Amino acid sequence: MKALVVYPNKEALYAASTIGEYAALAVGDAELKAAEGAPVVYLIKGDPRDLGLRASAVLQTAKEYDVIVIPSHKDSKTLGGYVAQRLGAPFATDVISIKPEGGKLTVERYVFGNKAVAVLRLSVPAVLSIAPGKFMGEPPRAQSKVVELSPQAAQLFRISGVEPKASGGVKIEEAEIIVSAGRGFKKKEDLALAFDLAKAFGGQVGCSRPIAADLKWLSEDHWVGLSGHKVRPKLYLAIGISGQPQHIAGILDSRIIAAINSDPSAPIFQYADYGVVEDLYKIVPILIKKVGELRR
Amino acid sequence: MVEETPLKINDIDRNAVEEALKLKGGDRAYAVSVLKWPPLQRRVQEAENLLREALAMGLDEAYLVADEGLLGADQAATAKAIAAVVKKVGADLVLAAEASIDNYTGEVPPRVAAELGWPLLTYVREMKAEGGKVVAKRDLEDSVEVVEVQPPAVISVTREINQPRIPTLLAIRAAMKKPVNKLGLAELGLRPEPRAELAELRPVVIQRKRVIIKDGTPEEKADKLLQYLRQEGVI
Repeated sequence: MKALVVYPNKEALYAASTIGEYAALAVGDAELKAAEGAPVVYLIKGDPRDLGLRASAVLQTAKEYDVIVIPSHKDSKTLGGYVAQRLGAPFATDVISIKPEGGKLTVERYVFGNKAVAVLRLSVPAVLSIAPGKFMGEPPRAQSKVVELSPQAAQLFRISGVEPKASGGVKIEEAEIIVSAGRGFKKKEDLALAFDLAKAFGGQVGCSRPIAADLKWLSEDHWVGLSGHKVRPKLYLAIGISGQPQHIAGILDSRIIAAINSDPSAPIFQYADYGVVEDLYKIVPILIKKVGELRR
Repeated sequence: MVEETPLKINDIDRNAVEEALKLKGGDRAYAVSVLKWPPLQRRVQEAENLLREALAMGLDEAYLVADEGLLGADQAATAKAIAAVVKKVGADLVLAAEASIDNYTGEVPPRVAAELGWPLLTYVREMKAEGGKVVAKRDLEDSVEVVEVQPPAVISVTREINQPRIPTLLAIRAAMKKPVNKLGLAELGLRPEPRAELAELRPVVIQRKRVIIKDGTPEEKADKLLQYLRQEGVI
């Protein structure tokens, strides 16, 4: 089978290389660089944010390919749904495995808030977005043949400006230890406890939806969950987090999950390796002190 | 197990309904839903009840597309059915949730836009109608795009866009009288399509140790927790 990678990055290129012959489609120079090593790179000069331009380019080249492979982010999924409909193709998002089998593709993905894995057999053409962290191999490197395209862009919308997001400077997806704060914290200032404990562990601070989206005590780069960031640290310590299904769905790949909550019936304890029933205001200061001593 | 699970409204759909109500002015606003889960007979009744929740919030009329040919069908078929209803009622703005909260794929709004050949905005957290245009903010991972489209358009919204209203008892009773139109594929001029082939569905087995530390002083509990975490080699 032949695969076309859109929004090229290393994981998507590797995933495509496991399907068969592959090429990449790059909009702008940064993506051209990211696609380096793919046997064929289609290059479009233009704004990487322009989804209409990119969709047109994909539709122009797609007929030569069986599978379109993209990373999983908001713009790529928007593009994926759009081109899938135009191609009459299925679109499987956040796939965790891909196997070409007898002219079809067998893929796995989490469904029902990560409560189950669905094994899907897709006819081609198909569009796949890959889950982060599941395709970590080295794509083979070739001398790239660059083909320039200038598609007729179908305008989906006009961009009049781009605002950077308030950032806490955190890449929570990459953290090895995450101390995560929830509604058990009574005021914004008290989050200092989470930051001090994270610092003692050498980790990062995460949070549940209410802290970032409703109360806005932390910027959204801290937000862990299905609609925030999916994380896979070696230790996830949930403090004052009740454990709503959408939060749990974002932490399933953690190696060890520990939880502190004063309510013994909090759902988070069902999903934790170690659960401590205690008032966070009593135990966290002790942990900060003890962890600090351990690491000295 | 899936067959026994009751249907519910996707939480973020309420935000889409709320935004439609803010924009609709004197126009009519419709709800459309495509039934995908068997068994058809029982689910039709369930889905109708759920659509009445959206009517109680203030929408005027609902369409339910229910057909054996749609059960288990893939999202291409869903999008075609939605697009057909949009054309039937003559709507010029389609508002949807950024994604459904069970599978979170977010693919249906882009598919509907592609099917209709309309402009598309996804992940909108703020929008207003301005001189015939919609000016909006798209909430991406690391940035916010300020964008505009000229309707007709398809727009998917995030949970942050508004606070959905809670219908009054009076509104809930009034909603019982609003029309819920049920349509099959043939009535929309559509044919059943090949289904997504679901080879297997297996529950994710969560192998967590579920050790609960509840006895002792806070100090003793802290020691216990740290001892476990050291044994696991994570600190």
